[in-house]
Amino acid sequence: MIDNYLPILIFILVGILVGVGPLVIGYLLGPRRPDSEKDSPYECGFEAFETARLKFDVRYYLVAILFIVFDLEIAFLFPWALVLQELGIYAFWAMVVFLGILVVGFIYEWKKGALEWE
Amino acid sequence: MGFEKFLFYVFALITLWAAGMVITRKNPVHSVLFLVLAFVSSAALWLLLEAEFLGIVLVLVYVGAVMVLFLFVIMMLDIDIATLRAGFIRYLPIGILITAVMAVEIFLIVGPSNFGLEAFPAPEPAAADASNAADLGRVLYTLYLYPVEIAAVILLVAIVAAIRLTLRRRPETKFVDPSRQVRVKKGPRRIRLVKMAAEVAVPAAVSSAQPGVEENS
Repeated sequence: MIDNYLPILIFILVGILVGVGPLVIGYLLGPRRPDSEKDSPYECGFEAFETARLKFDVRYYLVAILFIVFDLEIAFLFPWALVLQELGIYAFWAMVVFLGILVVGFIYEWKKGALEWE
Repeated sequence: MGFEKFLFYVFALITLWAAGMVITRKNPVHSVLFLVLAFVSSAALWLLLEAEFLGIVLVLVYVGAVMVLFLFVIMMLDIDIATLRAGFIRYLPIGILITAVMAVEIFLIVGPSNFGLEAFPAPEPAAADASNAADLGRVLYTLYLYPVEIAAVILLVAIVAAIRLTLRRRPETKFVDPSRQVRVKKGPRRIRLVKMAAEVAVPAAVSSAQPGVEENS
């Protein structure tokens, strides 16, 4: 079974090579004459006004956590889809109950307006 | 087998290195990115253990979703590294003591006597067409159906708790509601025509003044 993943390993290696190779070549071959003006940070030619580390809004957190919940739900769906033919109507209703519980949460977040980005 | 062992050591080294970088980086964002690398290489280790579904879910859920959440949380908190690092030397002895105690405990519980090929003989390699996810589904939706439904309830609790804790109404923000925007139809409800008397022409003497000022007066 593990042999099936050899093409993926080769793909990852080639991907790393394509991604890292140009950087390494540029680092080795490119001329570098840094001075203090070149290395100083600037915004569109101006001096930096403030630090770039702005605090994120808490709404991003809410979106991310709702995404995780439904991502996990998808993870439960994959093995179910593979064995649905085998297990038949029993597994079907099991998943209907599973999804029904989560749809309650989905309706709650919809009605609460958690999906609105005002 | 030799190549698989080589791959195991490569990914194990990457995991250990990335985990070390997570706790030594000064910038927490860099730590999170190294944690992503640690998760990806652990996923490769799980694939080597023939737990392909778990490996893929680790990338899908942890790298794809949980690490994004970590990044948001780190960017949300304004972490001041200098105050976090203050007193590092002062607390170092007690830190080393606790670490040593925990290491000894771990060693006593899961020491080398619990491992090795005598304790766990190597399982037969799975057939080329064996599907780990299908095996998982076969037990998950028959034997472990009740825990699966409990997992759904836990996810529901997570949804409700996250919304209760973090949902903020901002009535003062101005925004366009797209659903109302697309429902606009042409017709009398959209534009209201008002009949009014013709205005008297403004004298030409004020033409030197700025138009904006002229309207205000």
